[in-house]
Amino acid sequence: MVRAIARRLATGAVTLLLVTAIVFALAAMSTGSSLPGESVEDTSPLTPEQRAEIRALYHFDEPLHVRYGMWLQDLLRGDLGRSFHDRRPVAAKIAERLPATLALNAAALLLMILVSVPLGALAASSPGSLLDRAAGSATYALYSIPVFWAALLLQLAFAIRLGWLPLYGTQTSGMEAAPLVARLHDRLAHFVLPTVCLAYPGFAYLSRFVRGILVDNAAAESARAARARGLAPSAVVIRHGFRQAAVPLLTLAGFLLPRLVGGSVIVETIFAIPGLGHLFVGAMFQRDIPVVMGLTLLSGAATLGGVVAADLLYAVADPRVRRA
Amino acid sequence: MRARAADRIDGTRGSLRKAAALPRPRPRATLAAAAAALLVLAVACGETARRDEAVRDDVRAAMAAFPTSLSLIGKTDTNSEIIARLVTDSLVQYDATLAPRPRLAESWDLAADGREVTFHLRKGVLWHDGTEVTASDVVFTVRKVREPATEARSAIGQFESVESIEAPDPATVRVRFKEPCADPLDPFTLPIVPEHVAGKDPDILTGRFAEHPVGCGPFRFVRAVPGREIVLEANPAYWDGAPSLRRITFTVLPDERTAYGALLRGDLDLLGVTPDVFRDAATNPQAARLRRFHYFMMSTWYVGWNGDGSNPFFTDPSVRRAIVLALDRPAFIGAVLGGLARPAVGTYHPDSAWANRSLEPWAYDPAEAARLLDAAGWRMRPGGTRARDGVPFSFTLTVPAGSQEITDRIAAWFQESVRKIGVEVSIEKLEWRTFLDRRRAGKFDAVMARLNLSPSPDQFELYHSSSRGRGMNFMGLADAETDRLLEEGRRTVDPAARRKIYDRLQVRLHELEPLSCLFGFAAPVLVDRRLEGVEPSPLGLWTVLPGPRAWRWRR
Repeated sequence: MVRAIARRLATGAVTLLLVTAIVFALAAMSTGSSLPGESVEDTSPLTPEQRAEIRALYHFDEPLHVRYGMWLQDLLRGDLGRSFHDRRPVAAKIAERLPATLALNAAALLLMILVSVPLGALAASSPGSLLDRAAGSATYALYSIPVFWAALLLQLAFAIRLGWLPLYGTQTSGMEAAPLVARLHDRLAHFVLPTVCLAYPGFAYLSRFVRGILVDNAAAESARAARARGLAPSAVVIRHGFRQAAVPLLTLAGFLLPRLVGGSVIVETIFAIPGLGHLFVGAMFQRDIPVVMGLTLLSGAATLGGVVAADLLYAVADPRVRRA
Repeated sequence: MRARAADRIDGTRGSLRKAAALPRPRPRATLAAAAAALLVLAVACGETARRDEAVRDDVRAAMAAFPTSLSLIGKTDTNSEIIARLVTDSLVQYDATLAPRPRLAESWDLAADGREVTFHLRKGVLWHDGTEVTASDVVFTVRKVREPATEARSAIGQFESVESIEAPDPATVRVRFKEPCADPLDPFTLPIVPEHVAGKDPDILTGRFAEHPVGCGPFRFVRAVPGREIVLEANPAYWDGAPSLRRITFTVLPDERTAYGALLRGDLDLLGVTPDVFRDAATNPQAARLRRFHYFMMSTWYVGWNGDGSNPFFTDPSVRRAIVLALDRPAFIGAVLGGLARPAVGTYHPDSAWANRSLEPWAYDPAEAARLLDAAGWRMRPGGTRARDGVPFSFTLTVPAGSQEITDRIAAWFQESVRKIGVEVSIEKLEWRTFLDRRRAGKFDAVMARLNLSPSPDQFELYHSSSRGRGMNFMGLADAETDRLLEEGRRTVDPAARRKIYDRLQVRLHELEPLSCLFGFAAPVLVDRRLEGVEPSPLGLWTVLPGPRAWRWRR
């Protein structure tokens, strides 16, 4: 088991290395990457000497593989480098945006699970029923609503017309001195709309996934045996079904985990939450290679972590895996 | 994937039907409980009482992006400049007529040879930490800006012509230029930073100074949360009198709709908006407390013709003019731009004292356009397209692709307008930085975008033949008369004589049309009616004199 995990980690690390090399090459070779920070304003061009000095400052004249080597070397020393955009350390830029992204994604994931798993189980308890079809249609309808549109409507209704919820941000400015309860309250209020916007497109996917597994399991031999023993059908679906469904659900969780550090540009922009999604897209437009690389590394590591965590949990859920 | 899911539904229906007689979980109760929980959450999280609006002495504004740098001089973008001009002062600064006014410099003398300017500094001006502003701060700032590592993009080119700068005494700055300088004051609109603070950081962009800038301007820096907000407060010891506003808060709101929503809610006091939002505010009852006005920005919407000979069309000025004559700009402004633009005539802002007011934008005249094209040998063929010596008049208009929908609308209108005079245009959209690379390399037929204008009359970088291939002269213009006027303008110190030269230059450029300025765009603004002193200026609301120094709430 330990060896299997170690092997998984090793191949994962190699994959991660490959991914960083490819992303580095793509980012560095994309057109318009002449100079960091240039072209923000369309005035006063630099003299050739000034251009040369700035190119040297950011090692732009070194060949691609040398620059990648430098990046790797810095990485091994624990240094993610400095942003081309504002020359601040990449680690600091990510660190100041990570909490908002993590909290928001965790809340959205939680909401997704809280809504989708019961909904999926409900639907699975009577497949083909009106309830099942209604749940399917409703979640697919939600899935089809563009996020920016839903966000605008929610803002209009709850923040502008009713005024119940804040319109943007993650906290009210100047709340730092307020008592803890008020601050918590303020934070929660700010999270409601963006969390809903991040979560609702996932309802369809997750609830149908849960429903599919449970329905499959209900049709299995063991479930028939349980029913034969006189168990209520809901108990068959819920108790037996979920135990059987542990492995596929864990796999899914493994894939959902990296979403914690992935950002949604649209939601972040509309709700003015400076998160990682916004940072990534901005960095791409600015050809800010160090930031792009830092975020690639982060999401790569999270993906790897998710897969390894799922593997470990299989062993907990399924004794056969432990023995293997 | 979907087919398999359907199989599942069919394959399992039978076995569960049999069990249908037994009680099911009650979906309605569950849903009702969930809805109730959401409602409770929403109400519980409802905001605490709105801010008391009775007595106001602060302004809450929005920025679309956090400033790239708070170092006041490095990596300057528009938002960085706004902060810089509120937090610190410059030797001179422009007012709404684009005339330079004395700030830290009380007065100045120009040498007769046009190569030297001596600034006499105002005495007793204090940095926010209480230290006195001296000439050596000015010298330090200029030195710092000239270091490429500061990346003071908009300023670095302006100081290229400075040969030396020195501080003979704490209240005097003497600047010597390499050659006679057309506009020696323009570079000194540079925000000045304190040497005793900023000079301690090895890298001005990332040191302590950039985290907590110190200036001598009307507002003091209080705090900044990257990506979120910046707070400034009044400097009670400001040499020009403490501003009426006690505090300015900038919130970073990247989405224009969200920002408008915040304005409607009363979370903001003023906002620069898009034309769509501006129109909405005219009728929206929630916007009744807002005053609407617009100003014409320091930019122009241009078409740049590649006249370097790489295409057979645009080396001929009459062909360039013919295309412009085919454009019915007033009609387009009325129909599509909602009146929020005006036809432009050149790269001198119409509000600038340097603009030659005798020039008019080319009026819509398709007949004259056709005549010019005929005369240039581009004859109409059957099928309604023009050609010369078998070469069809068909070119590519390269535009930046981006969030600006207006680009698409103008490009489509342009294409349609010139099609009517027998010219075919295909539109190529490039991502902004790729667009700039291509434009710099001269790999285009015609480009269309927005160009920032300068208050300075000296447009050497844009039009002089020596700026081809390195400066902004991407059109490849090489005109002896233009070169001569640009050089003469730099050498001439006498104001009346210079005025004549730049008037002539503008006439010449209007004839040549190397860069056709199509529109000057208006920037619409919504502002709380009770906030007084917010006035239009080509420099916008924040960086002009007096700007926020003169804003006050009506009692």
